[in-house]
Amino acid sequence: MKYESQGVAKLYFIAAIGLFVGQILFGVIMGVQYISGDFLFPEIPFNVARMVHTNLLIVWLLFGFMGSAYYLVPEESERELFSPFLAKLMFWVFLVAGALTILGYLLVPYATLAEITMNDLLPTMGREFLEQPTITKIGIVIVALSFLFNIGMTILTGRKTVITLVLLTGLAGLAVFFLFSFYNPDNLILDKYFWWFVVHLWVEGVWELIMASLLAYVLIKVTGVDREVIEKWLYIIIAMALISGLVGTGHHFFWIGTPDYWQWLGSIFSALEPIPFFMMTLFAFNVVNKRRRDHPNKAAVLWALGTAVMAFLGAGVWGFLHTLAPVNYYTHGTQITAAHGHMAFYGAYVMVVLTMISYSMPIMRGHKASNERAQVFEMWSFWLMTVSMVFITLFLTGAGILQVYLQRYSEAPLGFMVTQDKLAIFYIMREVAGLVFLAGLIVYILSFFVKGKEVEVI
Amino acid sequence: MEGGFFYRQKNLMRSTNKIPLQRASNAALASLLNLTLLPVLGFAYLIFTFKKTDPDGIDRYHTILGIKINIIAATVLLVVSGLMIFFGGFDSPWTWVYVISYFTIVHTVFIVFAIWALVRAWSGEKLRSSFTKT
Repeated sequence: MKYESQGVAKLYFIAAIGLFVGQILFGVIMGVQYISGDFLFPEIPFNVARMVHTNLLIVWLLFGFMGSAYYLVPEESERELFSPFLAKLMFWVFLVAGALTILGYLLVPYATLAEITMNDLLPTMGREFLEQPTITKIGIVIVALSFLFNIGMTILTGRKTVITLVLLTGLAGLAVFFLFSFYNPDNLILDKYFWWFVVHLWVEGVWELIMASLLAYVLIKVTGVDREVIEKWLYIIIAMALISGLVGTGHHFFWIGTPDYWQWLGSIFSALEPIPFFMMTLFAFNVVNKRRRDHPNKAAVLWALGTAVMAFLGAGVWGFLHTLAPVNYYTHGTQITAAHGHMAFYGAYVMVVLTMISYSMPIMRGHKASNERAQVFEMWSFWLMTVSMVFITLFLTGAGILQVYLQRYSEAPLGFMVTQDKLAIFYIMREVAGLVFLAGLIVYILSFFVKGKEVEVI
Repeated sequence: MEGGFFYRQKNLMRSTNKIPLQRASNAALASLLNLTLLPVLGFAYLIFTFKKTDPDGIDRYHTILGIKINIIAATVLLVVSGLMIFFGGFDSPWTWVYVISYFTIVHTVFIVFAIWALVRAWSGEKLRSSFTKT
């Protein structure tokens, strides 16, 4: 580790992994509830389990992004972090606020939580993924601004690289677009616009910048390919991500009462959205093929390549599958969306955070790479989680296609719940795949504790 | 080990000149385009390029690889999907469950393979040269 303050990242990564475990446990619980609706009712109703599953995902990815930035920025900027104390303080603030919010979801009815947290003063609760009480949202803004200040000051007073500038743009966008969550218009259609300005512009906009910069950083480190080559790729990728992603928001506006032109805009621009992910695969393959050295951290290289491929598959291909308006007319809000969501989040964001952890954690523990046995464990976890996620996606896709046919395409359409009963076989198989994913995650955690022959010590 | 890449590139430049390298890259790109944006046209390009390539050169290798990939892809994607529809019936929802899931995942596998072939062509290498840098 070149700079002592990079060590702050360790805290963030440990919290991220802990919350990741929580997210998967609630995913597995929900998987059972899809098969047997009464499972754990009334202690953990489906809607609460779903809220915890998705909120934990967002929170742990944010921890992962922040940890990654705290590790990456000092090294790129060639100076210590502006304020390690602020980074540690904000870590605890975010962790406590996040834990209290999750406990709130689990321990009291959602309406009571809204009442306790005085949601009526500035109502922001009740929207998917943005269910956090207003006071938590304010906390997130404070944490995000402090984080941006810390990272921004480090970057602006140190060496500026394309990677840090792209990262900073992505992180600033993340903070700015979250502000739309405070605007909660009465008109439901207007509300959806602003809701998507947070959700879409995060995951199909600025998060792609964060992802691309993290991936570029790790690839520079593990391949030794010239920074200039990687930076040129980075420029093209982020340009394509923004060109396609910003207007591509329109694909969420089909069939919800918005003007018809969104069908054209949304279809055309979101059909371009696979391009940046395609280019990321090309980019990652190219630099690994041209690598100047074999880095001892083979697991990190595997995660990096896996990120590029799975992001293309999940965000690119599975997104394109249902993004054109005439197709989306049938598929809107079905299990096909869930299939896309699972693989896209895993491929693009979960894997890039795990790539950063894989690369940096051994260094923060005093080694260039984990010992050989630990890397074998880690690579097993990679394959278990990745292959099971492919199967989760395939089973949900199958469920979605059948759902579309029975519920929306057939000449004698069935009702929603009747259709759900007919999808049971897919939900059972999805749950089995989910359990394999959980097993992969356990192997991943074990990899941090496995002893073996150490590789080169720094 | 540091420097291995440059040594390999130097040898590569001695053994290949720019034209076959360019043809190899174009062939790999045509293969990828045939699988994505320009089906049939990409394949036609591969067929027409074939005669221009050096029998022992990297350009011939990538042209043949592209032709093989696309013939296998066409068989595996179109023929198998066609058989699924033929035996499953056009009006059965289960036919479409299998066809769409199968087509999407297998098609993507071919695209990812073609991307790897393209980056190998860019560096003037065959698919199977040593994966370990020395």
